[in-house]
Amino acid sequence: MIEQDTSAYWRKLLALDQAQPANVLNKHRTWHRYLRPILYKLISLPLRVYCPEKVVGLENLPARPPYIIAANHASSMDYAVVAWAMGKRREELYPITTKLFYDHPFTSFWIKVAANAVRIDTEDEFFPALRAAAQVLKAGKAVYINPEGTRSVDGSILPFRPGVGVLAVETGVPIVPVYIAGTSKALPTGWIFPRPYPVAVSFGKAIAMEPYIEKKRSVQAYDVYKEVTEQLRQRIVALSRSPY
Amino acid sequence: MNDVLSKEIKTLVSKVIKIPEDKIDPNANLFTDLGVDSLLGVEIFASLDKKYGLDVPENKLKDVTTLNDIINMVKGMMSDRPR
Repeated sequence: MIEQDTSAYWRKLLALDQAQPANVLNKHRTWHRYLRPILYKLISLPLRVYCPEKVVGLENLPARPPYIIAANHASSMDYAVVAWAMGKRREELYPITTKLFYDHPFTSFWIKVAANAVRIDTEDEFFPALRAAAQVLKAGKAVYINPEGTRSVDGSILPFRPGVGVLAVETGVPIVPVYIAGTSKALPTGWIFPRPYPVAVSFGKAIAMEPYIEKKRSVQAYDVYKEVTEQLRQRIVALSRSPY
Repeated sequence: MNDVLSKEIKTLVSKVIKIPEDKIDPNANLFTDLGVDSLLGVEIFASLDKKYGLDVPENKLKDVTTLNDIINMVKGMMSDRPR
């Protein structure tokens, strides 16, 4: 084992070895979830007709959680189209949301209806987000992440932040790369209502973490986290170039 | 003793950030001058944790920006440790 094997510290930061109650995620499942089937029925029509949505590779989802959905981010409708594409399996999914959106009077209600959103009390620190995501995965559910950390204005795929690599390697949970196309045109930043534009969601094959966990025995953890993150980005870029 | 410790920490930081020791100015900002990203910053803390058994709190990452800051932090934490 190399001198720089630093997993123990990362595991401590992510609280991975701390016991957590079985019902730890219940607080994220607010009463709003009872309205969720209605919401997705309502957005089903525009997604079929107004912004026709094409879904590819749904069979690549692991048979059951935990797993990480990592998608590019170009519009505030991204989560909704992925969750809609996943059908009933969207109930497995817990997106991490900052207090800026979770507490905002306009978005708060809709975020809670759309998802079992996990609120974090910070804007710019990545540990709380990673810990919240690790908690979801430890509880056996799936987490939704935008590794770019912000919306891409023109729909291009921005550099990824490496926290997703840390999360996946240290929890040993597979990452499903997801490419969302067309949302930057259907609902650009600053718009409230979408305009007609076809959108598509491509689910890629899951990236297993076992080879990277093995690699970490002989390579600095930082390099492995970065490699996983880069591999994920390449997979999403490849999905963006695939015809669908 | 303190000089030995400072040298050890410099060697450790140099290994983690993959920059030769003689290229690290102890007062240079690791993040803005030497291109260390936040993840690598945590790796420095993690390596200190591993080598010296120091439970470096994550919020120190904001305060510590130079090699000298790291050395002073480690010395401070070691002197505060119960003997």
